[in-house]
Amino acid sequence: MADQATFEDDVTEFLPQLYSAALRMTRNPADAEDVLQEALLKAYRGYHTFHAGTNLRAWLYRILTNTFINRYRRKTRRPAEVELGELEDLYLFQRMGEDGPGGAVRSAEDEALESIVDEDIKTALESLPENFRIPVLLADVEGFSYKEIAEIMDTPIGTVMSRLHRGRKALQKALWEFAEQRGIAGP
Amino acid sequence: MNCHEAHAQLYTFIDGETTAIRRLRIRWHLHRCPPCGDGFRFEERLKARVRQICRDEMPPELANRLMTFIREHDSDGSVG
Repeated sequence: MADQATFEDDVTEFLPQLYSAALRMTRNPADAEDVLQEALLKAYRGYHTFHAGTNLRAWLYRILTNTFINRYRRKTRRPAEVELGELEDLYLFQRMGEDGPGGAVRSAEDEALESIVDEDIKTALESLPENFRIPVLLADVEGFSYKEIAEIMDTPIGTVMSRLHRGRKALQKALWEFAEQRGIAGP
Repeated sequence: MNCHEAHAQLYTFIDGETTAIRRLRIRWHLHRCPPCGDGFRFEERLKARVRQICRDEMPPELANRLMTFIREHDSDGSVG
């Protein structure tokens, strides 16, 4: 049992990362703030159900994720499940490594990775359908384990893995398209 | 282990979600197969880059605003 009186002290350290995650979920600061505010109030009111000493960070992300999903589905009425086509392994590496100018594959691969524009990485992540974006966000950005993500999303671990793996490939496909548009990559 | 088997374990490997024995077998393959080694390194660096880029700063006054909101809703919410 956690004490509501210590809620503020207990959660303050997690606020910056929760805000950042909310921003990647909602894709704009006003909605991120709304979702985080609603999630925090739910967390506060349900704090007596949290077992002190267990994973507070994962518990907060679970509430944030649920709050986002409920709001988002209400708001956009988009189907929750979006399927991606099959994508090959090492999608981006295969393209960026091979087509590097001068054929110096190994150094070209480093340059290729560095040539990806920061803003494109955010846009690519935010372009993923929700059911792929959340696992990628939770694993790659927030550093949660598969087991933690399964608990946060209330999804079997196998589903988390397949969505995470396919979400990453879709992210690479988006990055490749942006790179081509910018004329960084390609012949 | 061949390239196909290594690729199938790419993400569990870079996420540290594989067993110690599998890890060793994958490492051995990456050592012997430079293209796979480069590919795996690329994936690891890309993951690190995503992590580095996709974190945004919280507006400085937001933490206070959120906590004020919680305090204001404290009384009309659950009974303390």
